[in-house]
Amino acid sequence: MTTASLKSTPSEPSHGVLEQAAEWFAVLDSGEATAADRSRWESWLAESAEHQEAWRYVERISHRFEPIKASSERQTAITAYERANSVLARRRQVLLGIASIAGSGLLGWITWRHTPLPGTAQAWMADYRTGTGEVREIALSDGTRIWINAVSAFNQDYRPDQRRLQLVKGEVLIDTAADPLRRPFYVETPQGRLQALGTRFTVRLDETETFVAVFEGRIEVRTATTGATTIIPAGQQLRFTDASLAAAEAADPAREAWTRGLLVARNIPLSDVVKELRRHHHGHLGLAPEVADLRVFGGYPVGDPDRTLAMLESVMPIRVHRTQPWWVSIEPRGEAAR
Amino acid sequence: MPHARRVESQGVDKIVSPPEYASPTIEHLYDDHHDWLQGWLRRRLGNAADAADLAHDAFLRLIEKPRRFDSAPEARVYLRTMANGLCVDLWRRRSIEQAWLDTLAARPEAVAPSAEHQVIVLEALQEIDTMLRSLPPKAARAFVLAVAGDMTHKEVAQELGVSTRTVTTYVAQAMLHCLRLEARQVVEELPCSGEQTPSFPTTVPAVS
Repeated sequence: MTTASLKSTPSEPSHGVLEQAAEWFAVLDSGEATAADRSRWESWLAESAEHQEAWRYVERISHRFEPIKASSERQTAITAYERANSVLARRRQVLLGIASIAGSGLLGWITWRHTPLPGTAQAWMADYRTGTGEVREIALSDGTRIWINAVSAFNQDYRPDQRRLQLVKGEVLIDTAADPLRRPFYVETPQGRLQALGTRFTVRLDETETFVAVFEGRIEVRTATTGATTIIPAGQQLRFTDASLAAAEAADPAREAWTRGLLVARNIPLSDVVKELRRHHHGHLGLAPEVADLRVFGGYPVGDPDRTLAMLESVMPIRVHRTQPWWVSIEPRGEAAR
Repeated sequence: MPHARRVESQGVDKIVSPPEYASPTIEHLYDDHHDWLQGWLRRRLGNAADAADLAHDAFLRLIEKPRRFDSAPEARVYLRTMANGLCVDLWRRRSIEQAWLDTLAARPEAVAPSAEHQVIVLEALQEIDTMLRSLPPKAARAFVLAVAGDMTHKEVAQELGVSTRTVTTYVAQAMLHCLRLEARQVVEELPCSGEQTPSFPTTVPAVS
């Protein structure tokens, strides 16, 4: 079935054109599109065969909703979809809970992981959290200082016998203070537990991994499911999942730069820079796959996404396409513009 | 439906593999791994009929998109990853079906839609779920409410408790996601790295 359409369309729309089509769809679908919007869309459509092909895709996708839209049971169908999804989400949560009980002996950890809340809700309810574009420095009661990156959240749980933080989302840089009570200092993530042995270190949660870089002192890591442990000395960094530890490698001191709203890039792919920028940019920030692997060098003020994008655009073969303030996409330069 | 497929797949042994696919042919793969895969699926699903269907589906996919394997363990890892995906598919399709039947039964109207109509709507729901499942739940919800429910973005915003602009962004992101799936299907997938079987990162990606 797909081969027929392949033959009739020699070229497939580029990522950038698909982004434009998606954006036009959203504008026209919003219920607030003006006559001017429509005529701008019409001229966009008339511009090229590639735009028309992309719009055919849009229509094909909208068409899949037709049986529901046309049904006398439209509302029932939508309710059923939402119900099924909330059941599936709940089951997934329970499964995660079971997985962590099976692996970890830490009671507090279980209750945390078992909380039937999606990640975003956990982040909303966390003791400390930051939104898009917000980096903060926090001093805790024992003198420990924490820099919390944009779109990040953690909980603080200090007890008579231990100091414990739970990283719920994003990234923190921690500079621990010597505790007069000599309580151990722990950071927990869904993948495991870190014990700080007098240190300065950064912890970041990615989808299924925790990343740790140690700048001073040492960190002991213990993975959640398998209980694998290792000690990371100063100047080393590593990633781990709930089951396994990757090999340690030299820590990049530039990892600390985000605390000053800076990203120091040394030969990293553009996609990593964009990932960081998304923490600071409100709305959509798209990246065409053709340019995702371009290497980036230099210091960028990621706290100021517009400036960073302008800087990147001036040194790299990319074009920043901005139709709405909240819909920005990065494309190869020279692609059918306008 | 599963029966139709079953009949089709009886021809598995006779399908001629493309010439460049020389090393273990699909016949060999079938002989070596089919029973093992079916057994694995049976343990996983607790149901022999579903296990047989999914094992056949897995081999059908392998015929549609042949791959070469350098060793038997490699083939098994691939087959198991694919079969696992098929289990999730089945599980989601059944969940949608159950929710649809429950919701239909619970609604106040006395007259039920015809059986045919019920199936058409169910299939549309399942297709939409397949398309949207890897999106963040809120974006998928916003998209369904706006498109299937014909609600304005302002109405969806009230329903979800977010701003209208956020809804518009969700709708655009969801549409872009669907467009990319569509584009990938049209091109019939280049030999892509995303297919490189299991998804556990074993090496450390470069870190800034």
